Amino acid sequence: MSGLKSINQRADLLLEAEEAGHLEEVSAMETVAGCATTFDPGWEVDPFSGVASLCQPMEADLYGCSDPCWWPAQVPDTMNTYPSWQEQKPSAQDDWRELDAVFPNTNAVFPKK
Amino acid sequence: MNFPTAVLVAGAWLVCGTVMPRAAAAHDYLVTVTKPDRLFVIDPAKERVVSEFHIPGAQDYVSIIVPSPDGRIAYVLINKAESIAGIDLRTGREVFRADLVSPGERVQCMFAFAVTPDGKELVVYEYATRLGIDSYTVLQPRFAVFSTAAGLHATPLRQFSAPRRIEMVLAKQDGRSFYALGFNLYEYDLGSGHLIGTRGILNWNRPHHSSPDMLAFWPVTEPTGIFVSPLYSTLSGPGRPQAGVPETSLMLLDLHTGQLQYHDFETTSAPIFSAVLSPDRHWAFGAYTALTKVDTHRWDVAGRINLAHTYYSVDISSDGKDVYVGGAMCDVAIYDSGTLQKRGDVRLPGCGDQALATLQVIRR
Repeated sequence: MSGLKSINQRADLLLEAEEAGHLEEVSAMETVAGCATTFDPGWEVDPFSGVASLCQPMEADLYGCSDPCWWPAQVPDTMNTYPSWQEQKPSAQDDWRELDAVFPNTNAVFPKK
Repeated sequence: MNFPTAVLVAGAWLVCGTVMPRAAAAHDYLVTVTKPDRLFVIDPAKERVVSEFHIPGAQDYVSIIVPSPDGRIAYVLINKAESIAGIDLRTGREVFRADLVSPGERVQCMFAFAVTPDGKELVVYEYATRLGIDSYTVLQPRFAVFSTAAGLHATPLRQFSAPRRIEMVLAKQDGRSFYALGFNLYEYDLGSGHLIGTRGILNWNRPHHSSPDMLAFWPVTEPTGIFVSPLYSTLSGPGRPQAGVPETSLMLLDLHTGQLQYHDFETTSAPIFSAVLSPDRHWAFGAYTALTKVDTHRWDVAGRINLAHTYYSVDISSDGKDVYVGGAMCDVAIYDSGTLQKRGDVRLPGCGDQALATLQVIRR
């Protein structure tokens, strides 16, 4: 992993495990479920570092990811954080224009300009 | 939605929906669900929806389906994974409901539940969190066993401790135990919750193989009584690159005998999400963005075609002639199992998204 630079705390832990010789104890994705434990790639690149084997079209995978909180960084999590994100929008392929981007509630920290 | 409202809504759909005809000879039907709350019964021979029902209180979330052994009831995970509803597939009436949460405790079932072979009990894997005034306490996961005769306010008959990260529960056909699939394959006594045995999945210890990666959310076990799932690992050793060579394998768990097998069949060239075994056990079919046919005698790829779009869930007819793909988006496609030629497509009314729906075949 010499060519990789960690960009979040979980990736930091992975590098620490490698340095400490405990890499075998870090198991990515294996039979996990839920947003707290998933950190596999998948929305950006496929297993072959391309895009041809990603879900086709993207809308086919949208609710399959938001329902189980699978990739909460890429898809709003409707299980915990944004439960009404796709309310009244049952069809991802027809309603995608109505699906808004979401943002953390920053008002308390960053007052509106 | 409260109980009287649920009954009224279910009743309204009984009037609107077309109830399945009583066939003299057994016949395959497909069962799937779509957002926001629809349950469909499809006649694949006629390529049309024969029943459309409403699941009360689904809260825009419908996903895993497990049919009762007699094919009369579909148990569906709904309500943000906090409830399981049992829907009568002839009438559309809700006949069972387990709301998993209780005051002060949030409970979710992440996909894993099963019906016992006698149809009398439901085994549900639960993640529970105690909600305190100033803190949340993550509790030990557990199995909760419900009576399917408990009606619309089911509470557990018994509960016992479970390991973390279980993604599937499968009932063994002898009726005495069940399997839980996670980092390992665990077998538990159905009555006492005693751990009978553990076999490795993450630690499968296959020579030259890395630990496997597995995604098993679709509890399809018929028509063979064998659960099949793809696994991904890398092969290393002399003559292979240091990084290893990605390999796709199939795991087969026989729910009659308990036999567990792993078979490699190709250097990974196409992802597969779910798989099913043909009635004669000669062929396995896997679905994702391609439909893959695997020869289980030679353990190689016998055929592969690109699908019109990604489908998560694959199933097969009782006679093995047709392969069905569903889950994700709003149609179910039918393919000839021999040629992999497309034979038909059933678009689901309203075009709600199937998302993680299990495409199940029932025989009535």
